[in-house]
Order: sequence, then structure tokens, then C-alpha cells
Amino acid sequence: MSDATANGIADAAAARKPRRDIGIKKRYAAERRFKAYGIIAIAIGLAFLVALMWSIVSQGYTAFWQTEIEVPISFSEKVLGTPEQANESQTKLLMANYPQLARDGLVQLLGIDPADKKAVSAANGLISSGTRVTLRDIVMNDLSVIGTTEDVWLYASSELDSALKGQYDLDVPENRRPISDLQLQYIEKLRQQGAIEQRFNWGLFTSGASSRAETAGVGVAIIGSLYMMLIVLALALPIGVAASIYLEEFAPKNRFTDLIEVNINNLAAVPSIVFGLLGLAVFINWFGLPRSAALVGGLVLTLMTLPTIIIATRAALRAVPPSIRSAALGLGASKTQTIFHHVLPLAAPGILTGTIIGLAQALGETAPLLLIGMVAFVADYPSTPLDPSTALPVQIYMWANEAERAFVERTSGAIIILLGFLAIMNVTAILLRRRFERRW
Amino acid sequence: MMENIQATLYKGPAVEASRPIKMSSKDVTVHYGQKQALNGITLDIPERQVTALIGPSGCGKSTYLRCLNRMNDTIDIARVGGEILLDGEDIYDPDIDVVELRARVGMVFQKPNPFPKSIYENVSYGPKIHGLAHSRQEMDEIVHTSLRKAGLWREVHDRLDEPGTGLSGGQQQRLCIARAIAVSPEVILMDEPCSALDPIATATVEELIDELRENYTIVIVTHSMQQAARVSQLTAMFHLGDLAEVGPTEKMFSNPDDKRTQDYITGRFG
Repeated sequence: MSDATANGIADAAAARKPRRDIGIKKRYAAERRFKAYGIIAIAIGLAFLVALMWSIVSQGYTAFWQTEIEVPISFSEKVLGTPEQANESQTKLLMANYPQLARDGLVQLLGIDPADKKAVSAANGLISSGTRVTLRDIVMNDLSVIGTTEDVWLYASSELDSALKGQYDLDVPENRRPISDLQLQYIEKLRQQGAIEQRFNWGLFTSGASSRAETAGVGVAIIGSLYMMLIVLALALPIGVAASIYLEEFAPKNRFTDLIEVNINNLAAVPSIVFGLLGLAVFINWFGLPRSAALVGGLVLTLMTLPTIIIATRAALRAVPPSIRSAALGLGASKTQTIFHHVLPLAAPGILTGTIIGLAQALGETAPLLLIGMVAFVADYPSTPLDPSTALPVQIYMWANEAERAFVERTSGAIIILLGFLAIMNVTAILLRRRFERRW
Repeated sequence: MMENIQATLYKGPAVEASRPIKMSSKDVTVHYGQKQALNGITLDIPERQVTALIGPSGCGKSTYLRCLNRMNDTIDIARVGGEILLDGEDIYDPDIDVVELRARVGMVFQKPNPFPKSIYENVSYGPKIHGLAHSRQEMDEIVHTSLRKAGLWREVHDRLDEPGTGLSGGQQQRLCIARAIAVSPEVILMDEPCSALDPIATATVEELIDELRENYTIVIVTHSMQQAARVSQLTAMFHLGDLAEVGPTEKMFSNPDDKRTQDYITGRFG
């Protein structure tokens, strides 16, 4: 019985007209091939990303450590004057020869004959001339240290730092490397005494611009970038959202609004340096705003970010299902009530994501800032957005132009800091999206 | 004026003449851009009855329904002509506030569309924007009564804070009805309210419609002739933008005058 059925089916299959060969095997092969292309494309992308991250991290991670030397400093009255004198006038205290204190301390620590000029000079080359500020701050904060001796951690010079980090080839002849044999002996001696150490480089985050690598940091640049981000957020978000709501919900559809729409989309594609030129011409030359100021930078970046925010917001508004609008309108809500009570809250995650991505873009922007003078040597913190400051990407650009070996690692270090901020912002965008996303 | 309109409008067999007319339309036309969707509909809707609008797809029944609370205003390219009166007042009069109108003529849509908010907020939204409650207690009262009238109270009374979107399809649609009732409308328009529901939920909603008839004038668009037969007292048959026939439901389904109605009801097209 079952045999008969099986035969019947076989007969029926044989009787059927043979189909044209549609290349099933080829079709499967094409599918497999296409999948392989996709995997190769992703692998290439990942390889580039890994190479980029590797080169930055491997060059930059050392920037987060800085060699310091513990030197017994005797805050002698001979150099600083007495505390009584200091109370009367701080001029002497500000102008005092602090490097001499550091030099004397080191000479004593290494047991060098102070009369041996050459040895003293070699030892002095081991500590940063930035010690002036370190020691002055200690004294200015607490006058009672005058006349006492204290162990102080001082920044080592960038040559010593680079040598210890293995960035110099020490096998080449002495006259062809920036650190001498004598200095190497001193370093060895200090190491045996436990007076030399690699410590976490807080200065990288807190200091401003400096021509000495060991005292240079991105502090001013971070503050400048922060001011600019706040300005961009405060201006671009409300303007962008208001413009999108009007265009998406209220504006009549005519040639004029079409023109505006096309222009907004075009603005998103305008090279950022053009916005810098505009900022220079309008904000600085015409409005007379100060150069190098975070305010001008923020305004320029606002212009640059607006199209991104408008496009994202309009997409988010359009994604709200029409049934929600109908429901609200059907209940007798006005158009404005419908938008503000229902549409906007539902579009909020999309708007926030767009805004944060726009901000991240603005944070990494360099070109327009170069034109408005934010590429400047700013050592002091800007107290308002009107003071000169720099921005993180500009600081990176400036350090990349420095020749010294220690600036190379700092450049990569600053890139890591910038990437860190960008990663934080993008993760925030994703989290906000997850948190507020609602289903309907 | 009312008698006058009634006299001119009645073409078909008399519809329960005892019922006063709640809404009446005269020569209503709708154009979507160049395309004419309604070719002059003249129809009276009696008070506190269920009027069913039936007809094949694209015949203009939903378009007509959306004229009754000016929902077509929200479509840029739609133009409405003719006259629609609510209690003798022209609702397309420039002096009429569309917000006020929609409070009097509520709407329930094809797909349940609760707001992605709590059940309580869904129902309280209408009364809130129309200022119907003066205190939290009054609002609670409105929400509770509306949910009770919509037959949803027993199912949701202990979870008013939960999102309305978490309810089942049938419950969502009854929530939408409760939301419409909460603003105490006089007329409720329903645009295929059961087309997205399963048979059991449909039965519940149909029972509800039958109960609501006591207090509200209901106009329902439906694809299902059985539904029209079950819930309505008056049936209007639309065909290609024309009103083919209007009459008491019983008569429409047993002995229609119009050939098109007969063909549609017997399933020859549609």
C-alpha cells in the first residue's frame, strides 16, 4: 500500500514537465559570497579601528604618568626673606629664586660638590623649570614653611621623563642624545634612594598651555570646550527644536518652506571651516566680540550643530504615529496642546539623541575654531566665556606641532581624553534613548 | 428651521419620525486635492440612536464621518463643502470653535490608540484640557464614571496607574471609548471600532455601544454588515461617494429599495 503510494508520487513527479534550470546552486553561492563580502568589509573596518586605537593608546597611555623626584627643599630665609617681610610685601616672595631652592635640594640629595659647576648644571637639568610655580604655590599657601625643610615631589624634566619611559635610545653616543651619561648616573642614584617615581599625572588634566611638556595640560582646553558645549546646548537645542516643530507641524507646504528645508539639509553638509569664516566675519569683525573667546566658538559651533539637531528632531517628530495626534485632536486638544502634551514627549528620546550626537560633533570640531583665534597659548583658566581659551581638539592640534618627544605622548594622551568624553556622550545618548523610549 | 430641514432632507422612507434630529448634513462634498471623495451627501442623524454607515471600501463613509467633527481640517488638501448642522448650528461656521465642537462630538478610531500614559491619564486628559473638573475628587469621579460606563471599571480599577498601552486590544478600545465619554460629548463617532478586535472583544464593544445609545447619539462606520444589523437602528449605505440609500436598519437588511444596497448586502460586491 505504502509502496504503491510512493510509486504514485514518483510517477506524478516524473510526469510533471521538467522546470527550467533557475540556477538554485548559483543562487546559494551568490548568497554565500555576498555574506563573505560583508564579513570582509566589517573585518577591514574593525582592523582599521583597532590599528587607530592601538597607535593612539600605545603612544598615549604613558602621558598619564609623570616622573617626579622627591627633593628635600629648605625654604631658606636667605632666598625668600622672612615671613614678616612677606606679610608686608609679597613682591619679593613672588619674584624669589625658587629654582635655586630646587637645585640646592637636589645637589644636596645627590651629594654633589656645589662648586662643581658642570655637575650642578647636569643635576639641574633633571628637574623641570616648572618647579618655580610648584614651590611658589607651597610658600604662598602657607608662609610658615619659610625657614623649614620639607620633602617635596617635583616634576622631573621632560628629558628625564622620556628617558625613563624608554623613549630615547640610550645606546647612541652621548653627544647625540638629550641626556648625558652623568645625568644617567644621577638617575640611577636617585632610583636607589627611592627618590624617583612615576606618579599619576593630574597636571595633564589641570594645567594650561606650557612650553614645557611636563607642566602642559588640557585643563584650559577642557574648560573652554565645556563653555562651548554649554553655549551650544543652550542655543542650538531650543532654536533647533522650535524650528523643527514649526516646520514639521505648522508651516504651510509651499515653495518657500521647501527652499528652507533644502537649505537646512545643505547646511548640514557645509564644510565646518566655512562656519569659522562666517564667525570671524560676523561675530568678531562685525559684532566686535573678543577673539579666542569660548563665546564666539560656541556661537559658531551652534550654527554648525543646528542642522543636525533640526534634522534629528524632525525625524523624531515624524516618527510619532499619527494615531496619537488623531486621538488628541479628536478629544478637542488644540494643535499646540497635541504637540506639547503628546507628540513632543514621544519624540524626546530621538531629539535628545540627535542633540547629544550634534554636541559630540561640535566637541570634536577644530577647523572653525582655528579661524576665530582659539588656537592660542592660554595658560590661565578662562573665568568667563569671554576670556581667551582653547578647546580640546585645538590643544591636540597645537601639541601635534611640537617637536619634543614628551609632547608626542601628550598629544596621544589628549586624544584619549577627547575620545573618552565622546564615548561618555554617546553612551549617555544610548542610555537616554533606552530609558525614555516608549512603545505604542 | 428644524422642520424645514427635515422636510427637505427626507428622500427615503421615513425614519422613526419620533426621534429628533441631532445632526443633519446637506449637500456635503469633500475634495482631496483634485479628487472628489463625496458628491453631496444629505443625511440626518437622529438623536440617541445608532446610525451605521456601510458600503464598500473607498465609498466615502469614513470621510463623511470625519466631516462631522471636522477631523478633515487636519488634512491640508481636504476641502469640505455643503452644510452640517449640530442642533441647528452650522459646525463649519467660522465662529464655531473646533475645540468646543470636538468636545461635543467625540471620536473613537479604527485602531485602538490610547496615549502611552497611564489608564487614569488617558481618561482624565479630555476633562483636563476642557476644564471639566475643579478638584482632584471631581476628576476621580469623572474617570471612574467614564470607565464604568465603558464597562472597563471592573477590569482596571486596581491598576489605574499602569500604562493604557499594556491592556489587551479590546480593553484598549473600550479605554478609548471611556476617554471619549469623559468629556461628556453629545455625539460619538466610531470609525470601524471593532475592525482590529477579535470576535469576543467585538461582542463586548457591541454590547457597550448598545448601552451607550441611551445617552449618546452614535454614528458608526463599519465594514461588517452583521455588525450594522446588530447595533444600529438606522443604516446609511454609501457607494462611490454617493449616499445610495438610508433607512431603518431592519428594512435595509430585509427589503432594500436600492439595487446597489441589495447587491452589497447579498455580497455581490464589496
